[in-house]
Amino acid sequence: MNASAPVVGAEHLSKWYGQVIGLNDVTLSVPPGITGLLGPNGAGKSTFMKLITGQLKPSKGSVTVLGEPIWGNPALYFRIGFCPEQDAFYERMTGLEWVTALARLNGLSESDAAATARRGLEMVDLLDAADKKIGAYSKGMRQRVKMAQALAHEPQLLILDEPLSGMDPIMRRKTIRMIKEWGRAGKSIIVSSHILHEIESMTANILLINQGRILAEGNVHQIRDLIDEHPHTVYIKADQTRALARAFLAHDDVLSLRFEDQAVVVQTGRPDAFYARLTDLAASGELGAIHEVTSPDDNLQAVFQYLVKT
Amino acid sequence: MSARRTTPSLTRSAARILDLSLGQMLWSRRSVFLGLLLGFPVLLAIALRTIDILYRSGMWRQVNGVKMGGAAIFGMMIWLLYIRFIVPVLGVFYGTSLIADEVDDKTITYLFTRPIPRSAVLLGKYLAYLVCTILLVLPSVMIVFFLIVPIAGGSIAAAFPSLLVDFGMLAAGLAAYGAVFALVGTRIKRPLIVGLVFAFGWEPAVLLFPGYLKRLTVAYYLQALVTHEMPQDSAVSLLMQVFREVPSVSVSLAALAVIIAGTLWSASRAVEHKEYVLEQ
Repeated sequence: MNASAPVVGAEHLSKWYGQVIGLNDVTLSVPPGITGLLGPNGAGKSTFMKLITGQLKPSKGSVTVLGEPIWGNPALYFRIGFCPEQDAFYERMTGLEWVTALARLNGLSESDAAATARRGLEMVDLLDAADKKIGAYSKGMRQRVKMAQALAHEPQLLILDEPLSGMDPIMRRKTIRMIKEWGRAGKSIIVSSHILHEIESMTANILLINQGRILAEGNVHQIRDLIDEHPHTVYIKADQTRALARAFLAHDDVLSLRFEDQAVVVQTGRPDAFYARLTDLAASGELGAIHEVTSPDDNLQAVFQYLVKT
Repeated sequence: MSARRTTPSLTRSAARILDLSLGQMLWSRRSVFLGLLLGFPVLLAIALRTIDILYRSGMWRQVNGVKMGGAAIFGMMIWLLYIRFIVPVLGVFYGTSLIADEVDDKTITYLFTRPIPRSAVLLGKYLAYLVCTILLVLPSVMIVFFLIVPIAGGSIAAAFPSLLVDFGMLAAGLAAYGAVFALVGTRIKRPLIVGLVFAFGWEPAVLLFPGYLKRLTVAYYLQALVTHEMPQDSAVSLLMQVFREVPSVSVSLAALAVIIAGTLWSASRAVEHKEYVLEQ
């Protein structure tokens, strides 16, 4: 498998549970590097994660991981590490015992597995608590020990399902930094979340998923381009909002307009032209001072919300 | 480490699952509960021994009108309490939950995303069940043996060889019932109910009547392995003696081996192909 080959490929991939569709005709390829899978709860993220980790069999279509089908192919798990979303453990085991036991399932001897487990726990900054029972771990520690078992055997592809869930802000920042470091070290990582700023802080390469379909894929700029084909919202805080509104309505690219407290919110179909005119108006000062111009679409959160609403 | 590698063998993988699962199984709430169940024969043995000491063995001549030694009482307890009740109960409660427990606890994900055959998870947990239940049953049977056999002047030394046979029979029973209920647990919805109906409805019912149906039970093959003589003078025991068709020991052992291998193979196939959808 060459270095630029997709780490995950799906062709018309569908999964349904009885009458309920979990994933609907998804075709995509995930490039090497860090990729964020974004979607609200119930969007199909978990189904997608289970399909690419071989826990579920496609109802229709196909999925390949590192160039091979994953369902019924246990040898592929040498090259994959999976950190599931669920908070489930053998609570009576210590972190070290648990990660060692799982590393042994990768065919390692007891001593090699213990060394591998220690390395994994060190990578998630949990070596100090390695001999504590998992039942006594905090939520953040439990998240980290899950990650340790996923990466201890040095997989080529790490699949992390909501890894930041339940972490405090400091640990969250640490984990994001770790994930980025692993990415820089050459690992491919697929990380899911329903919170955009988490993903945004890890990678620009995202997959947006909703109602079992991939809404968009690519880097932030490509998704912004996609957004630009759709109505774009601009929030303008100014002294003379009504005069500004009259000026905006003279142009047909303004689709809608509403007033908020000392501000006017405009929806435009041609953001570039709109911003050019707005800059001219602000520079001339004809319609009073313009204090603040922001676009809810300027950050990824709004892009995500915008897309999933469509 | 990410170079192409082959998965560890089924037996090696199963051994590692056994290692991982045994401690969890031994210290589970289920084991505590079933450990208490195994305390019942011990309490009964203590009561019988106390009566023996108090009444100087005289009352044992009154049971069914024939003299019963401690070895015969022990044999009855092995058959009626252990083989016909405790062993099936252990088989049902552990066997049907080998995979279900991991699914309910949502820990199955960690095992199914490792480079081992899925069937190794079932086989490893089955082996853990066998070790766990033998460790639970063994002390109970030993205590009962030492309490009951000396009753009415019975000799522990003389009865000891039959104790070893009893252990073998109990192990065979645990292995066979565990395998059957592992299959029930992997292939059938509501496995606990189905398992209990099989063990305490189907088996006792068909064993009472002549015909071929009793061959579809585990108990039919286990009874051939019983070495103890039972008192036979009551109407019920005489009736049972008429209908009692016991296969030879070799046939029974072969049949039990086929039952264990066949049901485990079928259960393994089910685990290999089944999707386990964990509730979010």
